[in-house]
Amino acid sequence: MTAISLTRGDAGAAGAARPRRRRGRAALAAIGGGLAVLVPIVFLSTFITYSLGALSNSNPAATILGQDAATPAAVARLDNALGLNQPLVVQYWNWLAQAVHGNLGRSYFTQIPVSQSIAQRLPVDLSIAILALILAVFIGGTAGTVAAIRRGGWFDRGVTIVASAVTTLPAFVVGILLVVLFAVSAHVFPANGYVPPSAGLGPWLSHIFLPSLALSLAVSADIARQLRTSLVQVLEQNYIVGARVRGLPYRRILFRHALRNAAGPALVILGYDFPQVLAGAVAAEAVFSLPGLGQLLLPSAQTRDIPVVQGLLLVISVVVIVVNLVVNATLNWLYRTGGGVGA
Amino acid sequence: MRARSRVTGRNGPGSVLRLPSARIAVGVLVAIAFLAVFGSALAPQNPLAINSDALFQGPGSHHLLGTDYLGRDVLSRLMAGTRLSVLTALEAVGIGLVLGAIPGVATVFMGSSVDFAVNRVSDALMTLPYIFFAVAVTAALGNGLPQAMIPVGILLAPPFFRVTRAATLEHARAQYVEAAELLGASRLHVVRVHVLRKVLPNIAVTTATITAAALLAVSFLTFLSIGVQPPTPTWGGILSSDLAYLAQDPWAPFIPAALIAVTVGALNALADAFRDRAHAGRLVIADPIIRTDLSLEGADGDRQPQAAA
Amino acid sequence: MAIDNRKPPPDLLASRSGTGRQATGDDVLRLDDLHVSVHGGAATAVRGVSLRIRPGEIVGLVGESGSGKTLTCRAALGVLPDGCAVERGTVSFAGLDVTSLSRRGWERLHGSHMGAVFQDPASYLNPVLTVGGQLAEVLRVKLRMTRREARRRALELFEAVGLRQPERVYDQIPAELSGGMLQRVMIAIAISCDPQLLVADEPTTALDVTIQAEVLELLRQLRDERGLAILFVSHDLAVITALCDRIVVFYAGEVVEAGPTGEIAQRPRHPYTQALLRVASVGDFRRRGLEVIAGQPPRVGADITGCRFAPRCPLAVPECAAGPIRSVLAGDQHEVRCVHAARAVTAS
Repeated sequence: MTAISLTRGDAGAAGAARPRRRRGRAALAAIGGGLAVLVPIVFLSTFITYSLGALSNSNPAATILGQDAATPAAVARLDNALGLNQPLVVQYWNWLAQAVHGNLGRSYFTQIPVSQSIAQRLPVDLSIAILALILAVFIGGTAGTVAAIRRGGWFDRGVTIVASAVTTLPAFVVGILLVVLFAVSAHVFPANGYVPPSAGLGPWLSHIFLPSLALSLAVSADIARQLRTSLVQVLEQNYIVGARVRGLPYRRILFRHALRNAAGPALVILGYDFPQVLAGAVAAEAVFSLPGLGQLLLPSAQTRDIPVVQGLLLVISVVVIVVNLVVNATLNWLYRTGGGVGA
Repeated sequence: MRARSRVTGRNGPGSVLRLPSARIAVGVLVAIAFLAVFGSALAPQNPLAINSDALFQGPGSHHLLGTDYLGRDVLSRLMAGTRLSVLTALEAVGIGLVLGAIPGVATVFMGSSVDFAVNRVSDALMTLPYIFFAVAVTAALGNGLPQAMIPVGILLAPPFFRVTRAATLEHARAQYVEAAELLGASRLHVVRVHVLRKVLPNIAVTTATITAAALLAVSFLTFLSIGVQPPTPTWGGILSSDLAYLAQDPWAPFIPAALIAVTVGALNALADAFRDRAHAGRLVIADPIIRTDLSLEGADGDRQPQAAA
Repeated sequence: MAIDNRKPPPDLLASRSGTGRQATGDDVLRLDDLHVSVHGGAATAVRGVSLRIRPGEIVGLVGESGSGKTLTCRAALGVLPDGCAVERGTVSFAGLDVTSLSRRGWERLHGSHMGAVFQDPASYLNPVLTVGGQLAEVLRVKLRMTRREARRRALELFEAVGLRQPERVYDQIPAELSGGMLQRVMIAIAISCDPQLLVADEPTTALDVTIQAEVLELLRQLRDERGLAILFVSHDLAVITALCDRIVVFYAGEVVEAGPTGEIAQRPRHPYTQALLRVASVGDFRRRGLEVIAGQPPRVGADITGCRFAPRCPLAVPECAAGPIRSVLAGDQHEVRCVHAARAVTAS
């Protein structure tokens, strides 16, 4: 293939690679750049979380030994054994090195490995968070789409009002209200408790449905609002008229042309809201009595079980950052041709 | 034309009050603030008084909002709880404002690598959920609400940072700033006099929304019993006990929920009013909450379609 | 001058259906006393427009911006913008009244029976999808082709409309192509399902002069080889006279003159048409764009009694503002809306 263009007005021909590969490469470069920025941030946040634990002015050795056995000599010996008399940065490094191998230490009090406790409870929160996001996409996506199509109508105005109302309530309040409405008054869903998927898909879903729904409403509101705005803009574009005069069916135009281009900003919301949803899962645990990370964190904080707290914070930070990365990467890849609203 | 006072005129701070929704919002917030200061004194009953004869009573003449599981008057508890919730929320907002606004203005003048680094830190902070850090801090610094709100404040700083940075960028390059510098004014003076004045409306918007977020955070923390010991009343704490006794009184949670919602809604409405005021260059302002068709623009500013030639 | 027999299809530009679509004499498009309102009914931008297009005919709508020609062709296509509506009159396609056609009905007509190209082709294509993909989509949806078939036919169509390296173009997104190439792509898409009518709204206005000539030649070829009727809209009378069989002159929402191109060009009867021809005949194309006709057209939808061109007309008489001006036949298929022409006709 010659490098010289023989076609009049063919702007991008000279010596370039095939169009698809060119665009893909640019997207990968952007993702790589994002990674490079995020790694130092991971270090920074893990260091902060670690220091928070170490900031405690309590004497962990004394706490472990108990009041009677905490003679200065015993404390000093335990300090040495636990590595507590070394400079903070060294302690941090050792801890991080161990953490990378999955060893997050043991609880001061129960001696159960922290990683084990976390591994037991993380799936509960994750399943609720993920289901919440899925629900949010459906609820928010549908609401936003219909609001945009019947723009100015009663549905549109209703969605705006409901969305504003929902965001004024914290997730746990919404959860409580849902419990009142659907569990106590109507007995449709269980009010509390958790059942792992291994005990049956049905019971598992019925137990996590209300908590997920509670968490999803705030995100749905955000998605609906953003999607409505984007979609209204996209529907005004000429290429929608272009698609119509080609005789394409309405539904196809809506999904494959309009929504595909308008969905970007709304999907970004998903990545942005995920940490909030995870935090909300802690609230949901309290409301619905679920055995999740929050129920591990709260008592550990009260008893100053430092390794547990540190381990939890590390896991949370890493999960949040990884999700962020994945979402950004996915969106960069999906929209690598640079489309979207107003493009 | 009759003269208007500087406060209620077109550009004064009181111009916010032109919109009906803003007026309602300010009214609500003033009431809340009043309660925060005088709540305990004004409460009709003692919020801590246990009365085992009057458990779970519905609203009545003696107890306007009913009683809780220990026979305590709900209305009084709510009023008394306002102070702690509001004050700690404001504490977090204050921390966020200081931690965010100062770097926001400063990094504009400090070179692009500093700018880049601070921006990345701000982005990272924005992604982290505050609840875990708030709990962790109580492990480190003791179980108190003021301590717990410190990480909340820190994590609320990024929005302030963004807003002040954006506004500073916009105005620091303006010609009048260059002119002032040429005339010999020091950079600090320029910043203080010119830039800050322009930045203020945007900060007002963010402050209102962040205060709402902080209030929600306080409710959340007190709901989880972080930082307070019962029987101290807090909005979140009341919700938590309501949840525990849902079987006996299923409709109890609606009351504190409504209180939270109304306050947060008022703050959001105020923020919207500030936002419109900050864009005061537009032709007509449409009330974003309560529809008053002042112009051909819809409430969300959509244009009317133009006819094709 | 209608084409009433087609050459047997020698190449891919020719019609594939092979059967005559309708009997000669049935208009492909017919507008009768069309009135279009804008701004939600507040103003009438198109008044009493009537025109017909026969099979294989190229009809040109010419007029200034705001004269109502674009709205008219949008009404004919059934894609009026929000707030605009047909207030009075009818639109008929191949004998079928489509004035109040449902959305489904228009979906069936669009693509298969009428296609459209517009002024800024890049904006009428989805910016994130490849142009080849968008053409193939139409083929798969409307003609039920498989992916492979659709791709092959798309490449053939690209080649037929004059795109070199069709395989390369297939994989490009609109932003990577020039205006001329994009317009060819749009034409390819518009004719891909072999429609009877092509509506072209200022398709060459934004193109270089040389590309413009090529596109016009392409349109002519399409008409010659497959009997495609074309509704061509432009403000450039030179382009219209070069391409079209018949001309319809618009002013301020009304048709002021209409007739065969030769007639209009040699014997224009309406003062506005005469002025337009004077402007178009200026050799220096740079001066052509300047306002040579003194004054401004009336505001869209303004309520004016009598002739709407009168304020700017060198031949205006009091009778012009007296009442509505009828359209009279002043020659072979030559209509004029002017009191002077009417007087001449009654006199003869």
